[in-house]
Amino acid sequence: MPALHAEELAPLAGEPLLQLRTGHALSVGHICRIVKGDAGARSGFIGGVASERVILFYMSLENPFQDPLRFERRVPECAMVIFGANGDLTKRKLLPALYRLAYERRLDAGHAVLGISRTPMTDDQFRGKMLASVKEFLEDSPFDADIWTAFAQGLFYMAGDIDNPAIFPALDARLKEIEAARHTGGNVLFYLSTQPSQYIPIAQGLGAANVGKGAGWRRIVIEKPFGHDLASAQELSTELHTAFEESEVYRIDHYLGKETVQNILAFRFGNGIFEPLWNRRYVNHVQITAAESIGVEGRGAYYQEAGALRDMIQNHLSQVLATIAMEPSASFRPTSVRDERSKLLRSIRVMKPDEVLRNTVSGQYGPAHIGGADVPGFRQETGVKPDAQTDTYAAVTFFVDNWRWAGVPFYLRSGKRLPKRVTEIAIQFNAAPLAIFNGDETTTAPNLLILRIQPEEGISLKFLSKRPGAGMKLRPVSMDFNYGSSFGERSPSAYETLLLDVIIGDATLYTRQDMVEASWAVVDAIQHVWDNTTFDFPNYASGTWGPKASDDMLARRGHVWRQP
Amino acid sequence: MSAAGGTIAPDRILHDMADLWVSLGKQGEGDAGVLRACSMTLVVAAEESDDEQAIGETLAALMPEHPSRAIVIRFRAEDQRSLAARVFAQCWMPFGHRQQICCEQIEITASDASLPDLAPVVLPLTVPDLPVILWCRSPRLFQLSAFSQLTAIAQKVVLDSAAFGDPAAALGDMVGAAAAGRGLADLSWTRLTRWRELIAQIFENRAQLANLPLVSDILIAHRAAATPTTAYYLAAWLTDGLAKIGAHPRVQFRSDGGEPAWRLSRVELRASDRPDAIASISLAAGTCAEIRAGGLVSMALLPALNDYALMREELAIPGRDPAFEHALAVAAKLALS
Repeated sequence: MPALHAEELAPLAGEPLLQLRTGHALSVGHICRIVKGDAGARSGFIGGVASERVILFYMSLENPFQDPLRFERRVPECAMVIFGANGDLTKRKLLPALYRLAYERRLDAGHAVLGISRTPMTDDQFRGKMLASVKEFLEDSPFDADIWTAFAQGLFYMAGDIDNPAIFPALDARLKEIEAARHTGGNVLFYLSTQPSQYIPIAQGLGAANVGKGAGWRRIVIEKPFGHDLASAQELSTELHTAFEESEVYRIDHYLGKETVQNILAFRFGNGIFEPLWNRRYVNHVQITAAESIGVEGRGAYYQEAGALRDMIQNHLSQVLATIAMEPSASFRPTSVRDERSKLLRSIRVMKPDEVLRNTVSGQYGPAHIGGADVPGFRQETGVKPDAQTDTYAAVTFFVDNWRWAGVPFYLRSGKRLPKRVTEIAIQFNAAPLAIFNGDETTTAPNLLILRIQPEEGISLKFLSKRPGAGMKLRPVSMDFNYGSSFGERSPSAYETLLLDVIIGDATLYTRQDMVEASWAVVDAIQHVWDNTTFDFPNYASGTWGPKASDDMLARRGHVWRQP
Repeated sequence: MSAAGGTIAPDRILHDMADLWVSLGKQGEGDAGVLRACSMTLVVAAEESDDEQAIGETLAALMPEHPSRAIVIRFRAEDQRSLAARVFAQCWMPFGHRQQICCEQIEITASDASLPDLAPVVLPLTVPDLPVILWCRSPRLFQLSAFSQLTAIAQKVVLDSAAFGDPAAALGDMVGAAAAGRGLADLSWTRLTRWRELIAQIFENRAQLANLPLVSDILIAHRAAATPTTAYYLAAWLTDGLAKIGAHPRVQFRSDGGEPAWRLSRVELRASDRPDAIASISLAAGTCAEIRAGGLVSMALLPALNDYALMREELAIPGRDPAFEHALAVAAKLALS
């Protein structure tokens, strides 16, 4: 007699009576109250096998202890498998975020983390190593030894080489042990914190060993880069799909987990007063800046192959642009929001080859002397070729071809060794159509809405106000909202938000295959021209705001970069 | 500003507030200026003997997250009618900028005999279009019949039943007020949020959830000699939730002694035929709670929350709280049974 699984029972949920015959099995998660038949059986029978012919009243069992007004979102039990558990991302971001979630009582008591990497280690050695990492990299948060002790009981480790196919059946066996001990419900989250070149072998290995399927849900998280061009991104998706459905693939973009980026949606779609202004009639142009003051910091060899366009604009900044410019979604359900974001990305005009050099700027930093110290140029960094044509700075002008945004330039720039670390979006509105007040240029300053993503997440609106006193003199004033101080509480890190989302199964802030492909299509067109152009690098000094050509690109349309 | 002759005029207070903003603006250096922030009117009713400094500190801590026009009314048990008021501002400098953010605060002192005169004073002082929350820190005031005029102004009245002498009577009074249409909150219920959330989290796990219909007994241990309202609330919430899935357990309360009296020390959900509890939460030494379920042990912080933390949670819910209202009704029946 076949087992009845949850999805088979669901259509019957409206019917109070269900006849089960001997040997009929029920999935865990469904409660059956016996109303006739096996009188000795317990009320509250869940799962298992019916021992004789019985008539059951059944219902899908829901946790009755919920209070959405006061409680945080519900988090299901799961085991998280981290490939690359000895790597930097695990130490700096993933484990501190998971510990913090445990500290905030957000994880199920039976949560489990199984780390995998080549380094031989016992569970206890792994726990010790993670303890040191959590203590070192836990930001804005206290450490509690008791909480850690309980949390660490759920940390496990297995050494293994991904190139060895035997690791996957071994992983399956270990997961079964953990599931029995920790009640993880068969739910497994695979986190690929490895080199991108290992994504496909891991997915294939999980698929071949059938670890990618199971009694509970399976999800897989991958970090950028999602390919290095459109073709490789498509190949990656195809290979992932041999073991996982697209709905099970979570492509993480930590920018989308930042509070301000999420707040863009709240700001735009939670308030009635902004949306009428959010279009070509009122918005003059948009600037999105992601600046870093540091160089490649030992990642020269990797960065040499990537560059700012691929490393930042194809993913982070394109996603931010999509969030800023997307149409209102019909609901806040993941599919609905992601559909709109995807639609926007597909609306970005793909440049023709002859348009690329007019609408983009490629830059590379040279050496400089900053704050009394000599700073090397990119070509002097370790692992970088002396004639590298890599863009450490990229600026592009995008146009979104839809009715809302036709003709509005979206300027995106990202670079290394710029004056400071800052990521922000500046939306410049059209100036008042007529200057009726006498005064200098400040009296016609356009309204500016600044959405700061880092380091100080918040929103500022700049507008003009009359100076007190006789006469009509105007001055710009700023209305500030700051996340850190306005709500008086710690904002969760992007990884806390995104890890929780994937455990819950909320993909709203994750990138979907069609979004990745749409942004690659835009970026590929630029990259192809850049690859066939020899730039006169270096073309900006470290500690400056990038090449002069970038200013010229805006000046052609009468605009200037805002200095963050 | 203190009104002469023991009376106060709302217009005068509003005028004083306008003057206050002008003077704050003048103090601002250069272009920095002062930003006024307000998301509600928070009326605090307290006894004159209540710790003035503690109230001030709590309000100051609440302001950045819940900027409000605070009206603090301090009552003294006096037969003669007298009222006095002064206005001042609570300001803070956000994110290291030069610009200050300020909230208004009005302090009124009143005799009990003046209580009937207060509502017409407070009503025009509330900020238009924003919710009015009344935090009543004194059971004595809540039980004065004239106090209902003040509660009628507020969308929500926040009490702390732990301060009432008789828990059953407190719950009865609150049920009466709720029946009269008042939106109520009880900080004793707020203290339970973390306990309740931990219990809910245990049963998010499907394996633990499967055991829930088997619960036959609930034990709630507390520190007070008499069963506190927190224990009744928790019992009400648990039995109500279990009833939804067809379980009707017995509830046992137990006093373990200790301080603070209103604090719970242990919650257990048991099945009659199992030696171990299906789930238990015990407050260990300090602020850590030990959670046991399905053979797993985990820890969580359960610190005793101060007025600021409790009010912060309540002010985030300016409207009605159906879960609380339901628990209140069931808890009152439990306490009286």
